[in-house]
Amino acid sequence: MTELGVEQLAHVYPEGDVRALDGVDLHIAAGERVALIGQNGSGKTTLVRHLNGLLRPTSGRVLIDDTDAARLTVAQLATRVGLVFQDPDRQIFAGSVRAEVEFGPRNIGRSAGELRNAVEVALEATGLAGEERTNPYDLGGSRRKLLALASVLAMRTPVLVLDEPTTGQDARGVERVRSAVDAVTDEGRTVIAISHDMRFVAEAFDRVVVLRDGRVVLDGPPDVVFGPAAWEVLASTYLEPPLAAVVGERLGAGSTPTDASLVAALGSWSAPPEGDDPGDEDHQHA
Amino acid sequence: MAGGDRLSDEARPARGIPPSLGRPGPTAYHRLNPLTKATLATVTAVGAVVLGGVVGPVGLVVVAVLLPAAIAGVLPQLVRTGLLLSLPIAISAFVVNLFFYPGAETVLLRIGPITATAEGLAFAIEILVRILAISGAVTLFYLTTRPSDLVVDLERRGVSPRIGFVTNASVQTVPAMVDRAQQITAAQRARGLDTEGSVWRRIRGVVPIVGPVILGSIAEVEERTMALEARGFTRPGRRTLLWSPSDSRTQAIARWALVIGLAATIVARIAGFLG
Amino acid sequence: MTVSLRSVGYRYAGASRPSLLDIDLDLRDGEVVGVAGASESGKTTLALVVSGIAPRTIGGQIRGKILLDQADVDDWPMHRLSERIGIGFQNPATQLSQVAGTVFEEVAFGPMNLAIPRDEVIDRTWHALEALAIDALSERDPRHLSGGQQQLVAVAGLLAMRPEHLVLDEPTAQLDPAGTRLVADAIAALAADGVSILVTEQKTDLLARIATSVVILEAGRIAMRGRTGDVLDDPRLEELGVAETSAGRLRRLASAAGVGGARLEAALR
Repeated sequence: MTELGVEQLAHVYPEGDVRALDGVDLHIAAGERVALIGQNGSGKTTLVRHLNGLLRPTSGRVLIDDTDAARLTVAQLATRVGLVFQDPDRQIFAGSVRAEVEFGPRNIGRSAGELRNAVEVALEATGLAGEERTNPYDLGGSRRKLLALASVLAMRTPVLVLDEPTTGQDARGVERVRSAVDAVTDEGRTVIAISHDMRFVAEAFDRVVVLRDGRVVLDGPPDVVFGPAAWEVLASTYLEPPLAAVVGERLGAGSTPTDASLVAALGSWSAPPEGDDPGDEDHQHA
Repeated sequence: MAGGDRLSDEARPARGIPPSLGRPGPTAYHRLNPLTKATLATVTAVGAVVLGGVVGPVGLVVVAVLLPAAIAGVLPQLVRTGLLLSLPIAISAFVVNLFFYPGAETVLLRIGPITATAEGLAFAIEILVRILAISGAVTLFYLTTRPSDLVVDLERRGVSPRIGFVTNASVQTVPAMVDRAQQITAAQRARGLDTEGSVWRRIRGVVPIVGPVILGSIAEVEERTMALEARGFTRPGRRTLLWSPSDSRTQAIARWALVIGLAATIVARIAGFLG
Repeated sequence: MTVSLRSVGYRYAGASRPSLLDIDLDLRDGEVVGVAGASESGKTTLALVVSGIAPRTIGGQIRGKILLDQADVDDWPMHRLSERIGIGFQNPATQLSQVAGTVFEEVAFGPMNLAIPRDEVIDRTWHALEALAIDALSERDPRHLSGGQQQLVAVAGLLAMRPEHLVLDEPTAQLDPAGTRLVADAIAALAADGVSILVTEQKTDLLARIATSVVILEAGRIAMRGRTGDVLDDPRLEELGVAETSAGRLRRLASAAGVGGARLEAALR
């Protein structure tokens, strides 16, 4: 299983001399679920494009399992790191769902048997089973986004990177994305997602990395990154914690980044927070 | 009624258009009406070709290109840009005529099989001066006039706003398509599309890129059209202009004088008066 | 002014099935109507039909009647309708005219097209910029603004045409959180000022904040409608593919676990 290392990564875009990444250090172990958040322009997209070689470092390096990514072509890196772009219409080209999903795994040299299996599993995971012969443009925008996801899922790369997977998705679409992410990490594969949806981030990821001006300013589990102690830093990136965290803080329930954790905290309360042991007695807060 | 009325409860002092709109140029030449400057550029370019000999075109360059450029303070830029643009053509035209002028007899220089002739040199100089005149006139126009100012001025005179709009919009389509193509290429490469292999592979690789580029560009045109229509763009007839470049009777007379002068020169040339 | 849809249906050009069926809807002065629904339920189509873009600009077949204060607008050309109903779209960049070097000219674009006298164009433009609190951006190049700012410019451009109704189709769909907040705040301010708005949105939190009533679409038909609070708290939302509001979800999970109550309510304010 694949480990990713980013060491002192800096990237300057030649036009306008923009320093998009300014010394980023990250280590991502196999099987981690990492969310990358930050304002537009903070460097999130620039960072993930270094993971599959679409961008090359101005300084610093990217390591894929101890190999410097600079030594590998984008096509070679595509076998290790799959990247799903935000806009499915800047990717979908085939006349059928099946052909679209087969494109990726075929490019990276999967055998016919592997191909068939991978495509089936990917379509199942994204709720598109049965649509093999449908023209992608006969699917709605939400399902086309799932199709783009399926087409990279089918590549079965050890690392999967998602750029804004839930933006523009309806409620069912978000569910599908979450279960697809679960399926991938259940196999021990790594998932990295850029997202603006703080609730999705808090609920579906074990690690949150916050970028600002090309640097990592926070890196930890959701209850730390969305905990009250981190709010000032979060505000400096124009991000807001999920509602559950805000409500939890108002109620003095500590750090409750997810709805579930807030409910659990409320449930375990027996008295106002004046030093009583939680769970001492059973008080019903009706 | 939505918006406006409820928000303008007290009388407000009337505000004008923001200062940067229609800001007059830094020099008197800049402030000339764009049509005047365009007329000058055209008459100079055509006139330089029509006038025979060398003295005429050189005089034209001095009076109609270099002098205004000096007044407008763009002389150094003009020389740099004008020369740069015309150099390739100028040099090749010069060399071709110097060495290969047909029917020449007076030999100046021999380099192996090719010969430089005096007649060739004379003609080469004539061509050179004309090329420099044309490039100088056009460059002067671009250095002192915003293209949008010319479009607005033409619209004020009755040209349909749609023409200006179409030219503007067409020009901007290309960078947008290039940008789209780059993003699509990135997405396909991320799925293993090989853009660094053999020529044949690269040609095949065009298919997953061209489709989305075209479809996407068409979809974008549709979106833009809807947005424009929602803002009354399809209303026939003229529209209000916030600002247009100033003009004067003097300039109008000058424009006509230039055009008539050019016409007279052409007639004279045809009739053989200018040799 | 009331916009009324009576039994309206619409089929896109070349489509085998209609995208809207049997729509009966009234948009009254000062109301903010939110439209929610799963992807492809007809939200965008409804926006296009109400504003007249469908069928005038994009073709297709329309059934039923659309009335503006009882007047049938069937034969009104688009530019005439655009003075009464303005429509804003999702993509901030494609709404720019591309012929305006400054935000001021961009916002003035609509009134200029309508051949309104110059002084009034200028007046309306400043009012629209101030209504969206972007008068400080008046001399900036609209192409260099953030997505959220561009959306505000687009809405200002619509307001400058003094429409009686604004239709906004998922105005925050393509914006980051900062942009979403910027646009949501601006729309809330307009709504508070009495501007009539029809807004389609996936973000039910946004609708909860600004809409007076909500309509839920399913497969091109109205599946549910009513006051915002009633509709967004209805348990049938899930089967209609509409997300619960964040507060609603918290309340539901808390009450299922037997906790929360008054304290939770207070903290949710």
